[in-house]
Amino acid sequence: MDILIGITTKDSVLIATSKSVARGVSVIKTNDDKTRELTDHSLLAFSGESGDTTNFAEYIQANIRLYGTRNGFEMSNKAIASFTRNELASALRSRKPYQVNILIGGYDVKKKKATLNWIDYLAANVELPYAAHGYAQYYVLSLLDRHHDPNMTQEQGLELLKDCIKELRLRMPIDFKGVQVKVVDEAGVRKLPEDF
Amino acid sequence: MAGGAADCQFWETWLNTQCRLHELRNKERISVAAASKILANLTYSYKGAGLSMGTMICGYTKREGPAIFYVDSDGERLQGDLFCVGSGQTFAYGVLDKNYKWELTVEEALDLGKRSILAATHRDAYSGGSVNLYHVTEQGWVYHGNYDVGTELWDAKDREQSFNHIVTSIPS
Amino acid sequence: MSGYDRALSVFRQHPPPVNANPSIEVEYALEAVKRGTCAVGVKGRDVVVLGCEKRSALKLQDTRTTPSKICKIDKHLTLAFAGLNADARVLIDKARVEAQSHKLTLEDPASVEYITKYIAGVQQRYTQSGGVRPFGVSTLVIGFDPNDKVPKLYQTEPSGIYSAWKANAIGRSSKTVRDLLEKSYEEDMDREASVKLVIKSLLEVVQTGARNIEIAIMSPGSELELLDSETLATYVADIEAEKAAEAAKKKPRSSDQQQA
Repeated sequence: MDILIGITTKDSVLIATSKSVARGVSVIKTNDDKTRELTDHSLLAFSGESGDTTNFAEYIQANIRLYGTRNGFEMSNKAIASFTRNELASALRSRKPYQVNILIGGYDVKKKKATLNWIDYLAANVELPYAAHGYAQYYVLSLLDRHHDPNMTQEQGLELLKDCIKELRLRMPIDFKGVQVKVVDEAGVRKLPEDF
Repeated sequence: MAGGAADCQFWETWLNTQCRLHELRNKERISVAAASKILANLTYSYKGAGLSMGTMICGYTKREGPAIFYVDSDGERLQGDLFCVGSGQTFAYGVLDKNYKWELTVEEALDLGKRSILAATHRDAYSGGSVNLYHVTEQGWVYHGNYDVGTELWDAKDREQSFNHIVTSIPS
Repeated sequence: MSGYDRALSVFRQHPPPVNANPSIEVEYALEAVKRGTCAVGVKGRDVVVLGCEKRSALKLQDTRTTPSKICKIDKHLTLAFAGLNADARVLIDKARVEAQSHKLTLEDPASVEYITKYIAGVQQRYTQSGGVRPFGVSTLVIGFDPNDKVPKLYQTEPSGIYSAWKANAIGRSSKTVRDLLEKSYEEDMDREASVKLVIKSLLEVVQTGARNIEIAIMSPGSELELLDSETLATYVADIEAEKAAEAAKKKPRSSDQQQA
């Protein structure tokens, strides 16, 4: 199972995603990027059924970008999350639902506020200060409940994220080949040069 | 290609026509990324209908350089430097991972590819027959022959002093 | 009259002049383009510039939210049109959807030629199917291909014809403007010269000057840039000064002749 973790700090969102892709008995990729940039200040991370994940993420990405060119301004992060939720919900009762779990990290440049939305494949959408998907939740949520502080700096957030990954490396029965970390803040979306 | 022979044979021939049409329409060879995406979108549209394919789209374009895309019947599509696909993939990976490096010469790469397939045909009950070798360059692909694994095995055993679980010698 | 006009499949009965459009409806569309406000496009060395005549706003109109004739199709593609605004809106939306769709399926942004061909394709389709009317719109499409620094400028017409240009004009008095462009165009113009040529050619047909001109500039790898009104006004002032100087140079000679 893929790992998705999101943590908001005072002025940014940190999104960590596992780098491994496993098919059957083999790990076939160890440097995978399970995220797509929706706008300059919005990042979507995804896990779930193979094929569904990238297809759904890129479909959402194209629609958000289309909205941007059509209207001359980008969709708000709340609207992006609602739109994504709605697409999952419509697919849920169709012949072929998308089995994709999602985290959306965003930074509102005007309000100077970072947001994180947790959306699962059943189309539940919640805005949270920190969130995770998959088996990683069972290890990481308690840790975040104990140590997360909404006023923490980006550096403190990264330290907390490191602790989460350390715990996962110690306790998870499968090797997820580390995580890549992306930051969304005032400056936009960027990938951290070093992986955890 | 690996998996259902009919699916692979048909859809890869179909992909070939799509790529040729792209070339005619755009006066330019299709990128490896775009070619693989055509196939991935196709397999994704048939998801759940029972297709069985594991494929690699390999190419070399000025813009992308050498590129490999893994595409399967789940609709998954991944870019990478190294993939093994099929029931014998684990055996091929075993040999390949040990000896692979980015700086491989063409001849070394061809040998390593052939040796990896040989390993798979030897240990995997569902793989066998012969090895086809191709070298893909910016100018196009170059075929490097067909090798019967029956003779290749004994050659390798002799050359490398490997396959030591086989106690008989070359049958005369 | 109406029965004859409505039938799209009816071709003109008299031998048409060279380059004539196959249906009467397309000629009407072309007429709508000729009545539309003028748009100009010029290619420089590493820049493409679009200029538009802005229709002067009425007293009570909210100019802030009145749509522009220069529209972004994608980050690297911009379009200007002449003709029916409402028709253009539909066409532009189709182009925007196609631009995203292209990126989604080919994993590469659409080239300028591709999107031009697509727009022209849509326009062509509407000249041939029943129950629809052709788009009363000509467009100028500018931009840069992905990973490329070569400026591109294309034109499409209601019939579905598309063509590539170094500089061109569409809409009202486009003939006059094109004549001026043909005279004044130079190869490898820099940004300043390109912008200046666009404004100069527009001033030929726009009476009210800077207030009713809109300029868009595209450079490789950067976002669409709209010229602000102050900069535009200085350009206009420069050009007017140049014109006045030229006129002054000519004047004494003509007065000499008169005296003689």
